[in-house]
Amino acid sequence: MRETPLSNCERDFIKTAIAEKKRIDGRQAYDYRHVRVSFGVERGCCMVNIGDTRVMAQVSCQVVEPKQARPADGTLYINVELSPMACPSFEPGRLSDFGVEINRLLERCLKESRCIDTESLCIVAGEKVWEIRVDVHVINHDGNLVDGCSIAAIAAIAHFRRPDITVSGDEITIHPASERDPVPLSVHHMPICVSFAFFEQGKYLLVDPTDKEEKVMDGRMIIGMNKHREICTLQITGQMLLLKDQVLRCSNIAVVKVTEITELIHKALENDREERAKGGKYGFAESVPKNKVTSNHKVSAPVDMETVEDHVTSTFSQNDDVIEIDSDAASTSESDDSVVIMDKGSGAIGLGGPSTWNVDDEMSELKEENKSNTTKTKQQKSDTNIVVSIDDSSEEETTEILVEPSIQKQKKKKGKV
Amino acid sequence: MKMSEQKSGSQNVLRLMVCEMAHLSRPDGSATTFQGDTCVMTSVYGPTEVRMAKEQIDRTTVEVVYKPKSGLPSCAEKSLENIICNTCENILLGNAHPRSAINITVQEVQDSGSFTACCINCCCLALLDAGIGMKCTMAAVNCCIDNEENIIVDPTRKEEEQSQAVLTFAFDSKDKNIITVITKGKYSQQQFQKCLVLCRDASDSVFKFYRETMEKKLSKT
Amino acid sequence: MAADVKTAQPLQYYRKFIEKDVRPDERTLEEFRPTVLNIGCVTTAEGSALVKLGNTTVMCGIKAEIASPKTEEPKKGYIVPNVELGPLCSILFRPGPPGDQAQRLSQFTNDVITHSCCINKEDLCIVPGKYVWVLYCDMVCLNYDGNISDACVLALLAALKNTSLPKVVWDEDTETIETDHNTTTQLNIICEPVSSTFSIFDNEVLLVDPTVEEESLSTGEVTIVTIDDKICMIRKPGGSPLTPQQLDLCINRSFIRSQEVIRLIQETLNSVDR
Repeated sequence: MRETPLSNCERDFIKTAIAEKKRIDGRQAYDYRHVRVSFGVERGCCMVNIGDTRVMAQVSCQVVEPKQARPADGTLYINVELSPMACPSFEPGRLSDFGVEINRLLERCLKESRCIDTESLCIVAGEKVWEIRVDVHVINHDGNLVDGCSIAAIAAIAHFRRPDITVSGDEITIHPASERDPVPLSVHHMPICVSFAFFEQGKYLLVDPTDKEEKVMDGRMIIGMNKHREICTLQITGQMLLLKDQVLRCSNIAVVKVTEITELIHKALENDREERAKGGKYGFAESVPKNKVTSNHKVSAPVDMETVEDHVTSTFSQNDDVIEIDSDAASTSESDDSVVIMDKGSGAIGLGGPSTWNVDDEMSELKEENKSNTTKTKQQKSDTNIVVSIDDSSEEETTEILVEPSIQKQKKKKGKV
Repeated sequence: MKMSEQKSGSQNVLRLMVCEMAHLSRPDGSATTFQGDTCVMTSVYGPTEVRMAKEQIDRTTVEVVYKPKSGLPSCAEKSLENIICNTCENILLGNAHPRSAINITVQEVQDSGSFTACCINCCCLALLDAGIGMKCTMAAVNCCIDNEENIIVDPTRKEEEQSQAVLTFAFDSKDKNIITVITKGKYSQQQFQKCLVLCRDASDSVFKFYRETMEKKLSKT
Repeated sequence: MAADVKTAQPLQYYRKFIEKDVRPDERTLEEFRPTVLNIGCVTTAEGSALVKLGNTTVMCGIKAEIASPKTEEPKKGYIVPNVELGPLCSILFRPGPPGDQAQRLSQFTNDVITHSCCINKEDLCIVPGKYVWVLYCDMVCLNYDGNISDACVLALLAALKNTSLPKVVWDEDTETIETDHNTTTQLNIICEPVSSTFSIFDNEVLLVDPTVEEESLSTGEVTIVTIDDKICMIRKPGGSPLTPQQLDLCINRSFIRSQEVIRLIQETLNSVDR
């Protein structure tokens, strides 16, 4: 589906506002929207909200064979799905250019910066290693998907626990969560991407652009950084040229933002850990606000099991008016149907009703041929059932005859042997 | 079959139901439904333009995309999409929007039992939120028959895995007729009839939940 | 004249017949088309069957291969069913990757095998943790005239009953396996699932075993898979709502059908042995 294009007056309005150091949602140039990180009941499930942009990530693991080049390393696989839920122009199935860009960015940011220790994922060197798979789903697109995806991915990785495993000789036992506590992944550092949008050939700079601002911008810069001030990835796209002090300025801003966001992720992880340890309620259901008009909570509703027997008899005894299938006819047809063995390995039932396979004609031919063979054929009163062939074309008959002689020939061969 | 003697909490109780609507800014209608720990998120775009190949001159084309949480979509997902698509097509006023499409996207957030039922309920709520004309609403209920021949309504994932059969029913709000039945596992005809009647009664509370949700959403306070 | 009405107003044409409790092909509403079953037709496969349900024809072939099992289930083999609906059988299908319907049918047959537990996957184990049998079941539709699901399930069941696996010897010292094609063991089938499909016409009438024309006019579909006197699967994906009584009638009809089909398979198998 095509997206609604941005009108010229909207475009001009946004550009003029930015020139006057104003943003349409009232933020300052370097402000992020409200970021919220929440975790689900399952381990490794994380939902991130940046304003209206929503991204969900899920981490799963599997035992696989390692790559030839690195037999003692596990693998990290990242997949970003642009769900058709997020934006009408995202098509399911084929990944668009934008999707490929996000995928590669995230791969560079997480995989190539070695945020998790892949050597600890090895089980049996050269044979079995853990493959960690991170699926990121974009739920709602209101700009700045890259940041959302990176926060969701790294938070989910930090939240995830893999099953404990014991290796005894050749056998590998994977312990379910009920037997042994699952083990966290070893995360070296948390790289997070920060996006900057540039306007007027790099004159104006905005952090965390919304969807409308993204449509109007000249170009974008994405810096992936961790809180130790190490840059993991850097990408500049768009039609613009930047000065080197602009890039340095952006990286300083990024340091501040990344520190804040990493704090936020740690706090969310702490809260989740405390709730789980206390035995309290945790998960997405708890993060749904109760006082909103658009949400509704309903406590468990009991189901009445006592009157079921009565209900069953009353429902199923009304067999009269609604019937379209005549059950009498069904029972009489049963007595007519017994199996007709036409040939070795071929049987037929139900010779009532027409069929262009001309079973009846075939049967009468076979009856003659079968007399010369020792194979027993069971005959019943199928002569009373008339097969009416709708289609009189002889091609179908010829095709059938071809099938039969080949079986006949086989039988004759076996007879000789 | 033991029934009225079962007083343990999980066996004859529909779990906590929570829903949030209109929380996504882009889609025309959206809903997130929680049944116990199971969570499904659905969005609806429509009526909107449709590809030429799928255009129907007298009715709307309903397209459903189901996205599992992990892994790539396979045949099992196609089967669920088909179920949801046929179920929704049946209750929508298809003739009101000819040559258009309604795109429904279902995202799995958590599967802790009663998943198909939760998907169908969530779709119904999202369609209500989008304001698309419907003949009636639909309510889906899951139940399972465990190894001791007890019927458990709205089971958790663990109860489903240990059961001998899992049945999902979807009913319409007019006459409580069966729109959809999907079952797995072996059971007898008598057990089927009992499950059917139980789920039909349980769907009352789901319909009531829809009413309360819509009343709250459209209220002025 | 009748042909004109049939092309221009197919729904009216069908309604006129159904008012008299008959269908245009002279069947009653609850009659199945004649079913022809041929077992063991493909000699290069470990098991095979050909089913003709009226004009609908499905051929199922089973090939067995040796593979390594999943780490989580070291003693279980796998069964991989696949349904192919190619341009050969009908103009509705195009060449290329499997379309929606083929994928749904593959999933349906997979569900039938898993939920009916007709094969114990541990029977397919050769050496736990190292080698297991994988059964590739390919169902190819040769002529598409409606009710493919019933034909596929029947073909699959008959082919599985016909399957025999060669003997495999595991040599501990050299850690290799040797297959002996001359000695074969029959695959053990625990139970026999049989499927019956009904289509709903005009929101009211139930038709057993729909042809492709009836399927295109139908407002809903119900598929019931039964094993002896138990129900294994009921699938009614949306479509016109049914009352519980109508569903009950469908279940009764499918029990009757399942007895006929099991007799058919049994006697056909007996004729192969003779």
